[in-house]
Amino acid sequence: MINNILRGFIYFVVLVLVQVLILNNIHFLRVATPFLYLYFILKLPVGTSGSNVVFFSFLIGLVVDMFSNTPGMHAFSCTLAGFIRQPLILLLMGKDLPEGIYPSYKTFGYGGFFRYTLVFIVVHHVTLFLIESLTFFDPLFLTIRIVASVVTTVLLICTIEAFNIGSQKSGD
Amino acid sequence: MSIVNCQLFMRKLLDFLVRKRHWFLFVLLEVLSLVLVYRNNAYQRNIMFSSANVITGYLSSVSGFVTSYLNLREINRELLERNGQLEMELLELQEQLEVMRADTVLFAGFAPDSTEQFPYSFVMADVVNNSVTHLSNYITVNKGRKDGVEPDMGVVSERGVVGIVSTVSDHFSVVIPLLNPKFKLSCKVAGSSYFGTLSWNGRNARFANLDELPRHVEFEKGDTVVTSGYSAIFPAGIIVGKVVDFKKQHDDNFYSLEVELATNFQALNNVRIIKNYRQAEQINTEREAKKND
Repeated sequence: MINNILRGFIYFVVLVLVQVLILNNIHFLRVATPFLYLYFILKLPVGTSGSNVVFFSFLIGLVVDMFSNTPGMHAFSCTLAGFIRQPLILLLMGKDLPEGIYPSYKTFGYGGFFRYTLVFIVVHHVTLFLIESLTFFDPLFLTIRIVASVVTTVLLICTIEAFNIGSQKSGD
Repeated sequence: MSIVNCQLFMRKLLDFLVRKRHWFLFVLLEVLSLVLVYRNNAYQRNIMFSSANVITGYLSSVSGFVTSYLNLREINRELLERNGQLEMELLELQEQLEVMRADTVLFAGFAPDSTEQFPYSFVMADVVNNSVTHLSNYITVNKGRKDGVEPDMGVVSERGVVGIVSTVSDHFSVVIPLLNPKFKLSCKVAGSSYFGTLSWNGRNARFANLDELPRHVEFEKGDTVVTSGYSAIFPAGIIVGKVVDFKKQHDDNFYSLEVELATNFQALNNVRIIKNYRQAEQINTEREAKKND
């Protein structure tokens, strides 16, 4: 239990720091920004209660918002993404997952983890960019930005998951 | 019987509420987020949730301190260039002064008003947080209320206009740069006196559009665009950029100009915040005038 909390806390701090100090400054071809901090929500253990997931999603979104001067935008899209996380796992993986395991290649399978990540990130990015474009609407550019950012984020998360030795070794 | 039914119903209802409590939390947090989005879109004044608060500001200034070393060569080159320009200007002015003095040296009645002075002064600040690719971009700088910075002050770099101060905390302030649809700047083509509105097109950090410029204004590609001075924020004649392209607007009476911005927002390190100590006076006078409408 303590281990879980500590692990979650470290994930939170490290991912937020990486996001606000490094990744927020990356704008590949001026359209794509990877949002790696979503990895925190993705890796919460299966069976975490719905309200906890929603709350922590909101929290990490709010912290990222504070650093990138976009109050409420990340918080909104993260809360939505956190809310659909559990139904999504049920839909993709069925009900026979043991409680308390961490989503990873080993527990979900390569295809399963990829689909899970992809759907989750598409939901988050579409909401985020739609909210952002409330001030300035430009459909073509918006679509390009969403697609490009989804691709970079998914690539980054899948790569990092492949190198995440801890989750491969224990698988739980 | 009906009491038992009622109890059963209440229990079911309670059960339902407890089981679905993450739904309520979800709705609550979403509403909270929307309030934040809406309030800050309406007017960016919330210090608590912006990068001008103590923790985020401190972290940004540490990272800004580290990254500032990476651009020293470029900054040095720019400063040398600027220095050269200013030296040239100084020489020119000195020469003019000499000529004028030679003209007026015998005229003892020339007594300039010593209370008349340039109503602007500068505060130098370092950029600690910056974005160029969002739709609404913001810049955080490391000077705040303690250094005399107030909301609605203009901000310039060594090359040209940057933006306007929006939120101020004790040691940090957030600037709305040209790269933000909320910011519209009154500009004119240098040499003419007709003005238009400069706003960002949301895509490229190097370009912005100058709209509503009357058709009969004469200009060419490559002409400089400067501030018009029709606000209490920027003095007239600060460089904004240069004209790279123009086309007629759809209503045909105005030009829309594409302007290459003079300030390189992607490599912004030092800025100057302009203090205009007559700003309050001007705004109050204007407000007074509008009240009578």
